[in-house]
Amino acid sequence: MARMTDLPQATQTNMTNLECPRFETTPFVSGPPLAERRVAVVTSAGLVRRGERPFTSGDVDYRVLPADTPASQILMSHASVNFDRTAFQRDINVVFPLDRLRTMEEAGMIGSLAATHYSFMGATDPRGMEANARAVAGRLKSDRVDAVLLTPV
Amino acid sequence: MSALAHYLEEEGVPSVAISLIRLHSEKIGPPRALWVPFELGRPLGAASDEKFQSRVIAAALGLLETAPGPAVLEDFPDDDPTAIDLPGWRPPFDIAAGSIVNGEREALEQALRQEVLAIAPFHERFVAVNRRTTVGISGLTIDDCVRLLSAHIAGSLPATPELSNPVQALRWAVDDLKAYYLEAMSADGAMPSSRQMQSWFWDHTLVARAIIALRRQLLASDEKRSQAIGRMNLVPGAQVQRLGLQ
Repeated sequence: MARMTDLPQATQTNMTNLECPRFETTPFVSGPPLAERRVAVVTSAGLVRRGERPFTSGDVDYRVLPADTPASQILMSHASVNFDRTAFQRDINVVFPLDRLRTMEEAGMIGSLAATHYSFMGATDPRGMEANARAVAGRLKSDRVDAVLLTPV
Repeated sequence: MSALAHYLEEEGVPSVAISLIRLHSEKIGPPRALWVPFELGRPLGAASDEKFQSRVIAAALGLLETAPGPAVLEDFPDDDPTAIDLPGWRPPFDIAAGSIVNGEREALEQALRQEVLAIAPFHERFVAVNRRTTVGISGLTIDDCVRLLSAHIAGSLPATPELSNPVQALRWAVDDLKAYYLEAMSADGAMPSSRQMQSWFWDHTLVARAIIALRRQLLASDEKRSQAIGRMNLVPGAQVQRLGLQ
């Protein structure tokens, strides 16, 4: 599903007409083999730690999700109601797959799992997030991250 | 996601984006993206399917090694095996939704409380099995979420000092109520499609009728923020369309 034709008509129209930022060039940074990389997750699912201020419409800031945060302490505060949440309710890994990455780390498929991960809230113009995204990049580099998996909802 | 990938990569951090809307990735052109044919809200596809999720992650991260240059967009070949209707599915409980009587706050609140009470054992079972709940974004108890929703529908929103933005708080309370019900509906571990779960919730529960009544109220409000929350943040567009709501 999430082929355009599977979406409700109103969502299809919104998605088709959504103004997307255009970039003149596309950056491309190479790195070592995956088995040597340190991997972080950056999601736009609007995840917050329980008790933190939820995201609201138009928010362009981010939340910090330490890798040792128990799954029971992570909530979703996305502005949109037009996506499925039942899978996330059953299994946090469907959006924020740290358990899966830990297994891949144990199997030697990735080098290591980052100490800290990050959450933005989609459904807002990403150009407003640029400064915060660059700040997150700085934090990722401090954690020696050289592979980021970006997960939307 | 795709724009964030640009910013991260420009700062020197290699990235790969999972893409749910292929058209957006085509337009934005992130350094590397894996389009997945899954439902919105499920970037890894199937809940509780470790092997499937791991295949998606491996395909995505693999692009970090194999992409020959920028703006690579590949397609994941398989559909989410759990995104199908379960024939004859019903939740593990049955409830008979009453009607909403405008202006009768106490009667509505009592009826909603009874419904919440009826499904409470199923929500407890869900939490025991899954060892977590996604209820809690409002910071209120479920009883207080019911109280807030009932009060607003009856036109007598209580003065609650901790609520700096009552309409936003109301929206979070509605999110928590929806999560509470949908989690309770999953208590027996069955995996119906989200479409089945949403249809049952919006067709059979009193709380859904209350949320629709709230939506109607907010749409009629003079206040723009209330109108926006009513229009966009309470009832999913698919349900607005299916139920023929205005």
